[in-house]
Amino acid sequence: MNAKTQIIAKLSSFPTIPVIVHRLMNVLHEQESRAGDIGEVVRHDPALTANILKAANSSYLGFSKPVTSLTEASFRLGTKWIYQIAVSSLIYSNINRPADGYEQKSQDLWRHSVATAVLAEALSKLLNIRDSGLIFTAALVHDIGKIATHEFVGESIVEIEKLISESNKTFEEAEIEVLGVDHAEVGAMIANHWNFPTQIIECIRWHHNPDAAPEITPAMDVVHIADALCLMEGIGIGRDGMYYRPSQEAIVRLNASGSILELAVSQLLSSLEEIEGMLEEALPVYSYTRR
Amino acid sequence: MTVYDPQTRIGGMIHYMLPLSKIAPDKAKLKPGMFADTGIPTLLRKVFKLGASKDRLIVNVAGGAKLMDQGKVFNIGERNYLVLRKILWKNNILINAEDVGDDLSRTMRLEIATGMVTVKS
Repeated sequence: MNAKTQIIAKLSSFPTIPVIVHRLMNVLHEQESRAGDIGEVVRHDPALTANILKAANSSYLGFSKPVTSLTEASFRLGTKWIYQIAVSSLIYSNINRPADGYEQKSQDLWRHSVATAVLAEALSKLLNIRDSGLIFTAALVHDIGKIATHEFVGESIVEIEKLISESNKTFEEAEIEVLGVDHAEVGAMIANHWNFPTQIIECIRWHHNPDAAPEITPAMDVVHIADALCLMEGIGIGRDGMYYRPSQEAIVRLNASGSILELAVSQLLSSLEEIEGMLEEALPVYSYTRR
Repeated sequence: MTVYDPQTRIGGMIHYMLPLSKIAPDKAKLKPGMFADTGIPTLLRKVFKLGASKDRLIVNVAGGAKLMDQGKVFNIGERNYLVLRKILWKNNILINAEDVGDDLSRTMRLEIATGMVTVKS
């Protein structure tokens, strides 16, 4: 059995994500969803409700009067914010896992993922891209495939790095050559297994190479650029580190510029501290695994 | 970048993200360490205030990596390094050793007791 077949065989036993994630995505992706709709979904999950209220009352936000209901929280912070905290806290345990073959500890993979999500969100705002939360989610899970490919990458790392240094291949091109599949394609398979919306699956699938996508979307380009920037800034990166080729076409398609990218990066640290600080208060396991 | 005065054993390091603070002055006020032009002077001022001497200061630099064929828009790493050189040159501070550029991500350590600097890539 070759590596690709072995990787695919493993996917069916891959942990699933909570059903409520789908409900949240569905509500958000419906046009004109109101703050109340998200609250309606969250309300049925007491643990999630408690986590969101804890996050909303986090000292990082600095409000003196605590919120006591989801309605108050969404009034103060907005629907999109509630969605982002909910999805991050629900998907956290799926991403906060080691990818040893890439020499990424569990917190590295998580940190890179959440930083990419925050940066993608900032970029889509700066570029005036209409988005309901899809870009954040897609960026958060863009590297999910690594959890399935990392063991195989670890076993073949010498061969992969030889291809990079001798043939000027990118890491994902070397993965394809050696394993028959790269972490982007495997990630798309996992997202498909999770019944994620097609647009998110496509963002994962083409996050290293949006130019090759059958149908290129702004979301895809934004996730690609956010990932490239987080790699360049060295946030939670692994052994594959800088061995990727950013798309110049994506920059042109989005009508972005160097200063827009820098502006987005300048917002990264404070947003990252904010979301991580809130998750730390909302999820007991979060601070525990990160200390 | 790490700085170290071997006589007083005062040292420090900065891992900044962007070259120039003019892109977001409000962020630079809150987090000067994020930008080369606000972070490097802040670090220097702090170690001098603690008693480090400019003449004895050992400066080491690592980073400024790039992605493959990244083109102009993504060249933040290179610009980060150029601004650092300019600031040090203006302040008459020499770089002792450096490991910059290329497609290598690096982790830098400074041991305050000995001044030993290690770069893992």
